[in-house]
Amino acid sequence: MSSPKVIIISSEDERFPVDPKVAEKSVLIKNMINDLNPDGLTEDFEIPTPNVRANVLSKVLEWCEHHKNTTFHEEEDDDTKKTTPVEEWDKNFLKVDQEMLYDIIMAANYLNITPLMISGCKVVAEMIKSKSPEELRKTFNIVNDFTPEEEAAIRRENEWAEDR
Amino acid sequence: MSLPIANDLDATWNFIQPGLEYILGSHEDQGVTSKMYMNCYTAVYNFCVNKSRRSNNDHHSTANESNLYSLAGAEIYSRLDKYLTEFIRNLKKDPKDTFLEFYVRKWTRFTIGAGYLHNVFDYMNRYWVQKERSDGRKDIHEVNTLALNKWKTEMFNDNAEVLISEILDLIEKQRNNQIVNTQLISIAIKSLVFLGLETQDSKKPSLVVYITNFEKAFLEKTSQYYSNESAKFLSENNVVEYMKKCESRLSEEISRSNNYLEDHTKKYLLETLNKVLIEDHSQEMYNQFLTLLEQNEIDHIQRMYKLLYKVPKTIDPLADTLENYIKQQALLSIEDMRISMEAAQDNSTTTASKPKRALSAVDPKTYINTLITIYLQFNEIVIKAFNKDPRFIKALDNACRYFVNNNPIALPTPKSACKTPELLAKYSDLFLRSNSKESDIIDMNGDNLMIIFKFINDKDSFEEFYRRQLAKRLINSNSKSEELEESIIQRLQEENSIEYTSKMTKMFSDMKASEDLKSKLNMNNLIVKDFNPLILAQSMWPFNHSKDYNLNVASELIEPFDNIVKAYDSQHNGRQLKWLWNHGRAEVKANLSKKGKPPFLFTVSNIQLMILIAFNKNNTYTLGNLYEIVGTSRHIFESHLLPLIKYKLIEQSPAGDLSNDDITLTIVEEYKSKKLKVNFISVIKNTEPKQEEEEATKEIDETRKNFLSACIVRIMKSRKVVKHNDLINEVLPQTLSRFRAKIIDVKRVIDQLIEKQYIQRVEGNSYEYLS
Repeated sequence: MSSPKVIIISSEDERFPVDPKVAEKSVLIKNMINDLNPDGLTEDFEIPTPNVRANVLSKVLEWCEHHKNTTFHEEEDDDTKKTTPVEEWDKNFLKVDQEMLYDIIMAANYLNITPLMISGCKVVAEMIKSKSPEELRKTFNIVNDFTPEEEAAIRRENEWAEDR
Repeated sequence: MSLPIANDLDATWNFIQPGLEYILGSHEDQGVTSKMYMNCYTAVYNFCVNKSRRSNNDHHSTANESNLYSLAGAEIYSRLDKYLTEFIRNLKKDPKDTFLEFYVRKWTRFTIGAGYLHNVFDYMNRYWVQKERSDGRKDIHEVNTLALNKWKTEMFNDNAEVLISEILDLIEKQRNNQIVNTQLISIAIKSLVFLGLETQDSKKPSLVVYITNFEKAFLEKTSQYYSNESAKFLSENNVVEYMKKCESRLSEEISRSNNYLEDHTKKYLLETLNKVLIEDHSQEMYNQFLTLLEQNEIDHIQRMYKLLYKVPKTIDPLADTLENYIKQQALLSIEDMRISMEAAQDNSTTTASKPKRALSAVDPKTYINTLITIYLQFNEIVIKAFNKDPRFIKALDNACRYFVNNNPIALPTPKSACKTPELLAKYSDLFLRSNSKESDIIDMNGDNLMIIFKFINDKDSFEEFYRRQLAKRLINSNSKSEELEESIIQRLQEENSIEYTSKMTKMFSDMKASEDLKSKLNMNNLIVKDFNPLILAQSMWPFNHSKDYNLNVASELIEPFDNIVKAYDSQHNGRQLKWLWNHGRAEVKANLSKKGKPPFLFTVSNIQLMILIAFNKNNTYTLGNLYEIVGTSRHIFESHLLPLIKYKLIEQSPAGDLSNDDITLTIVEEYKSKKLKVNFISVIKNTEPKQEEEEATKEIDETRKNFLSACIVRIMKSRKVVKHNDLINEVLPQTLSRFRAKIIDVKRVIDQLIEKQYIQRVEGNSYEYLS
């Protein structure tokens, strides 16, 4: 007999059977499994995730599968947390269109998978880094709603941060 | 069931509330499904995320520079708060339950539910609660803590008194050996620990609720319970039974405290128990202690010690009691020994009319063995019953020091100097010299010597007597083994100091040097082989040169003597050598036997030797003539001549005393004796032993005075001006490794030093050093 699976159900009722080890990358799922099965899993266990679509869930579970043996360290030092670059596998994994990227980040937040959320946010931060306002507007598809006066005022206030 | 609209609080709350009912166990214990769980989580998540987004937009429109983003959660939090309050208030006790049973059942279920709730509201915990708390809202807590706080205010606070009293009743029942449900006790007590969270920021439980509500009352109750029980038990049972009862009660309470009390309580619980069970009844135990000692009940003594050990201050009186008991037992043993020695002495002396007085001769072996037996007896008790506790080792040492130095044998009169050092030195001589019978010295050895040595106050006195015995063993070459001798010196040195054994060490090196000198002369055939000259440093050896013994060396023997002196002078120019004619012996082969029989072997003193050699030339001398030839003082000459006459080697004519120089002395032609070896030394009338003891005492006194002077001068030299009392107090401890100085002795030495102008009196009862 194979060991019991965790079956994660997407918002469209698609079923994703995975090893408990993979599912427990989500702290939410891990807590729930422990709460509802104080003596450990003895049979397959269904968990509906009404906020996550199947295409996103499958991506997230791919990440969980890849990292099932990774130990993530709680970085105590805020600076190291911020400066550690995104690891190569995650970077490639997150080379997706913007909408999917945001969906993954949202799902990671919902499912409480902190390392995935951090990687996602860092990728977004990379997209912002070293870009002019105009470039940013283009990248993120933002309409400029500042008047020229407002914009000038903001530039003056932040002059100290300009590259010289 | 579909999820509610995210921005509608009422809809959201109405959606999750049924799930909460299940989670907290309102519906008996029907399981919570994962769907229910996820739906509640998702509803809370959606509400918080949606609200946050919306407020984000609101803020953006006002375009404030700070607070551009805010997190939602407050409404959900306050709904949950209200819900929990209602929930706990509505818990109802079944009339057949005690309050404790009700409390424990509901608490157990509630805390499980609170754990679920915590995870279901995880999103709110993660963002909104964290933010509020980091903004300083310390009244906002994560859900688990919130639930516990609610339990405390809504359930615990109003019912604490009845709860605690029911717990304590149950504990008392258990102490009375009734069977109780300890689960109830342990869960209720644990709940008090969890409820300590309230005032804490960190997640670590504080024991404040546990301590103020439970621990204090528990300790009081415990003290009362055992104070009653022990008084009653002691009125009906003996102390030994009581001690056993204490042991079992203590171990019961320890296992109770391990089972369901916090570690914090253990220390106070033990203090309480030790007070009411042990300290309050220590007097009863002390009273029993002597009886147990008399009966040698090691196990019970150990039991008592282990109990009292728990209350450190109760140990000292026990140790004091032991010390006094040892002293008293020792004196009884020594007195017994004295009486039996006296009886033996009376039997052996023919004159039965001997008056009852101090023993004329104490057998060192019996005496020292008696002391050692007492020491060993109590040392065993200290090891077995008192686990080598330093306080009892000290009590034993104190007692031993006392009885070794103060007992009717050591001090026949209160003013006499302590005899133990001398007796110990004689004891040592018995097993160190070669001519004791093995069977007599079988249990005598260096270990025993060291045991008693440690306790002797007058170490210097022992050194003096020991050294005198050693000197005799060395010059008479009747030491059993050089190795043994050296090992004893080594142990004395380790126990005391290098300085302590320096003279004895020097004596050994003198022996060695003499040996070297002799073999050197021997090689050049400058002395006869049987001649064993010893050259001994005067201040190290306990021998005095006496002019009375100065004799004329017979011309036949003069050469080796002269050669020795010459050889020594060439090595050490300027040193003065004086022959100690009173020591040493000679063996003379005398051809005075019947024809065909082997010659006699006479052991004689140096003086007797010169007398006999003279008879090689003439068979007859007048007394006056012979006296001139020998050359010593008249009384020495006579006392050495008498044995020769008495044992019929020399015939005196006419008989009578030796007052007339014209008396003729003739050597016999043929000597008659059953033995071939005849010793003429042992019968020489000798006043020496008495004299020697006096000498030793005198020397000890002298050395002490010198030691004290040196000590005082050293102190004065470094301090210049010292108050009288300070000086005394500084000097006394410095003498301890050698002797116990009396203040009067120190004062006398001070007076001498003033006379010699080393120091002078100055104002303020002080002395000043004069350089």
